[in-house]
Amino acid sequence: MSTISWDSTLASGTRRQFLGLAPALLLARKTDRPIGGAFVNDSFANGHRLRDRAAFRASSRQIRVPIVIVGGGIAGLSAAWRLDKRGIRDFVLLEMEKQAGGNARWGENDVSKFPWAAHYLPVPAKGESLARELMEELGVFRDGKWDERALCFDPQERLFLHGRWQEGIEPEIGSTPKDREQYKRFNDTIAELRATGQFTIPMERGARSSPLDRGSMGGWLADHRFDSTPLRWYVNYACRDDYGASAEDTSAWAGIHYFAARDPEEKGPLTWPEGNGWIAQRLLEKLNRYVRTGAGVYRIARDRSKLRVFTEEIEYIADWVIFAAPTFLASYIIEGMPPAAGFQYSPWLTANLTLDRIPAQKGAEAAWDNVIYDSPALGYVNATHMSLAAHVERTVWTFYWSLAEYTPQQARTLLLAKDWNYWKEAILNDLSRAHPEIRQCVRHIDIMRWGHAMVRPAPGFMFSAEREKWLKPQGHIYFANSDLSGFSIFEEAQYRGAKCGDIAFR
Amino acid sequence: MSLALFLSVFLIAACGLIYELIAGTLASYLLGDSVFQFSTIIGCYLFAMGIGSYLSKFLHRGLVARFVYIELMVGLVGGFSSSLLFLAFAYTEAFRLVLYVVVILVGTLVGLEIPLLMRILKERFEFRDLVSHVLTFDYLGALGASLLFPILLVPKLGLVRSALLFGIFNAGVALWSTFLFRGQLGGGYGLRAACFAVLAMLGAGTVFADRISSAADNSLYADEVIFSRNTRYQRIVLTKWKDDLRLFLNSHLQFSSRDEYRYHEALVHPGLAALPGARRVLVAGGGDGLAVREILKYPSIESVTLVDLDPEMTQLFTRHPVLSAMNQHAFSEPRVHVINADAFRWLDGNPDRFDFIVVDFPDPTSYSLGKLFTTTFYRLAAKHLNAGGLMVVQSTSPLFARQSYWCIVETVKQAGLRTYPYHLYVPSFGEWGFVIGSLVPYEAPRQLPSGLRFLAARNIPELFSFPNDMQPVPVEVNRLNDQILVRYYEREWKDIAR
Repeated sequence: MSTISWDSTLASGTRRQFLGLAPALLLARKTDRPIGGAFVNDSFANGHRLRDRAAFRASSRQIRVPIVIVGGGIAGLSAAWRLDKRGIRDFVLLEMEKQAGGNARWGENDVSKFPWAAHYLPVPAKGESLARELMEELGVFRDGKWDERALCFDPQERLFLHGRWQEGIEPEIGSTPKDREQYKRFNDTIAELRATGQFTIPMERGARSSPLDRGSMGGWLADHRFDSTPLRWYVNYACRDDYGASAEDTSAWAGIHYFAARDPEEKGPLTWPEGNGWIAQRLLEKLNRYVRTGAGVYRIARDRSKLRVFTEEIEYIADWVIFAAPTFLASYIIEGMPPAAGFQYSPWLTANLTLDRIPAQKGAEAAWDNVIYDSPALGYVNATHMSLAAHVERTVWTFYWSLAEYTPQQARTLLLAKDWNYWKEAILNDLSRAHPEIRQCVRHIDIMRWGHAMVRPAPGFMFSAEREKWLKPQGHIYFANSDLSGFSIFEEAQYRGAKCGDIAFR
Repeated sequence: MSLALFLSVFLIAACGLIYELIAGTLASYLLGDSVFQFSTIIGCYLFAMGIGSYLSKFLHRGLVARFVYIELMVGLVGGFSSSLLFLAFAYTEAFRLVLYVVVILVGTLVGLEIPLLMRILKERFEFRDLVSHVLTFDYLGALGASLLFPILLVPKLGLVRSALLFGIFNAGVALWSTFLFRGQLGGGYGLRAACFAVLAMLGAGTVFADRISSAADNSLYADEVIFSRNTRYQRIVLTKWKDDLRLFLNSHLQFSSRDEYRYHEALVHPGLAALPGARRVLVAGGGDGLAVREILKYPSIESVTLVDLDPEMTQLFTRHPVLSAMNQHAFSEPRVHVINADAFRWLDGNPDRFDFIVVDFPDPTSYSLGKLFTTTFYRLAAKHLNAGGLMVVQSTSPLFARQSYWCIVETVKQAGLRTYPYHLYVPSFGEWGFVIGSLVPYEAPRQLPSGLRFLAARNIPELFSFPNDMQPVPVEVNRLNDQILVRYYEREWKDIAR
């Protein structure tokens, strides 16, 4: 009687067994479909030429124009909007990219329009007169009522938590009485802070120097004994979503501003399939004749009372410049300008995924904004959510990732180092937590890398001397970017731009 | 040779566990209370395995042949277990009895397997190795099965086919054993023939597995399913019992042929009869053509436009002999234009105006359907009304879903229309509600088309009177950005179901 000779038989046996099983497993798993896509709208090259002070082609001709706006994002467009309203026609807006709109840029394919970054405007409260004025002009606010087709359809938000979707993004599934007590205490504390009147939009209206700015939002939560895990996740999510920074890296004043500045009278926000691209398009329709795209300004020099604004095609000789590009670029472009110390910017990654099929859902119905709990990314926004159709078969999801787990420098290095395939896999892996069949639904993924997507309200920045220094014009150069407000939101960009448009050339 | 032996241990262990899991899953699925079902089934199963092990000592001779027969029996009973249980649930009152009999039978047979096999193998291996290897593979099989079951089998094969597949494995092990142990067997041709017979039965079972599941599907509907199809948009099911034909969309009853005349006469005539000389009518939803049938009773009508999402639905009601007879071949009339489109988007992109608009959508069971019950929709529909025109809206039950009903009425009002709510009794639905929305004051008609089975002009005022338990309640308006209706509806129908 022999004992089994394990080594040989089992080893060979298992291999055979495996070979026998493998085809069955392969059959069972639907083959993943090929997914196309690329990095799109990359702007590193232009930015790095400025940074490295590379040689630019000399302008071939000169044009005299009283006012030049540098930068065609919402700040620049809002400056143009005001100038045009004042009856001033003699100005140009210079945009480095092929498409104006800045963070409100958008795209379109055979399925839908979609945003590339900013995708909503909270319903402007009574005090936000500029935003209301624009919305009235665009027909979104009429006779005291908001356009029902622009108010985000129900359900607005949902959260994937413990294996299923819940309505709303404040974590509810599995929350304990302690968590709920802390949610309530948090909301009460925010309400008290809101009542102080210092958290306003635009921020300049109510902001006054506050010790809150010296600490981080994470520290503030700890100081107030907010230790509930889901609450801390929620606050951290808000900071990553609005500022691209974790709660630990966000000024407590700015973190609170996110929650305390808004108390809308109507359930919103305002949104469109292409996000804030809709607003940018309407502004561009009005202002098209002033806008020059692909016109990167590489140098601004003072020449007696004139300002010489250089692009590779044309040199503009102007009396006034509204500098609406990110403020950190000023020292690379404007002669004699010191670096914008203290201004930090969060890099982002956004992606648009085209889906030929909507994956099956577990729990709450698909919402406009869809967030996965404990994901490093921020979730996705559904571009066809604002469709009137009851039945939608194909859609585009805009995926957001603020890379807040890294320092801005690390994240920028990573963005440049990794290829499209790496990010595609990272995105699909993240989404597959909530949608296991995502790879069988997606046809195309375009990815956009933003080196300096938004200013970061790091602790101490909101009321720093550095930030305030840039609020003052330098001669006839006015600074208009939203980063001067300490955070990058539509209303701040509009306010800064419009303010410069109102005072320039007076 | 040795590995082959232990592989069969692995397989039979996997089979045994699969049957147990299938019984537990099926019972949880059909009866609910999964904790109770799984606990009692695992308990009975293990206990039955104990019985099997005990009984094994009474088997003395011809162990291999007995082992083969036992394998075949496990294969048959286990393989057909889920088919049997599905059918028992659908056609008998004794599901639980069948369930536990099957569990105990399979358990007992599986309990016999391992002791017998160990006795067969005891001459070949040292006892120490035998126990160790047999049990190792036994537990490995259990692990494999328990992982395979939720990940692959249930989602890809379903319960009926999974059971049959593992039945085939059992029968395969039986057949294999006749070769492995041919030294101990002698002839064994009879045995092999039995193996092939069982394999053939199980194979045939897999071919008919679809019929078994659809026979079980039948049981979810009270009556016989005569037609079912998954279209791109919905699941259409038709059932028939004697002269009662019922249509279900996504399991929601749409009509019963016995009383649909009540519903459709009440939907169309109070509004349309009040518009003498109406020429153009729009029907949004209503792909069964039954509302169109009522509309065509007015000679003044020149055109009826029906906008329904699902082409398979409208084709079914155009071509199917029984169904097109129900709507009196309305879709073949030259005055009727069928458009397969999303109603909201179609209205948004089309400038046509109508004298009368029938809004007959499925109840607001989801936010996607809820969009069709919003101020935005009614405002858009009102823009498509000719001066003096009116619309009627299917508005769910004012009795079972009182808040939902009045929410719809209030929403129509908020869209700038005068509202005239009314209701009737439809036996297969219960109390049902509609609301007329109009730009000018509405007056109930004094005359109706002849030949109506339910409605008489003298009864129309009664429809507009609501008893106490259906009176208006405070409600909010349903808007695209705040679909309170979907939440009202979900809560109210959940309360009814309880």
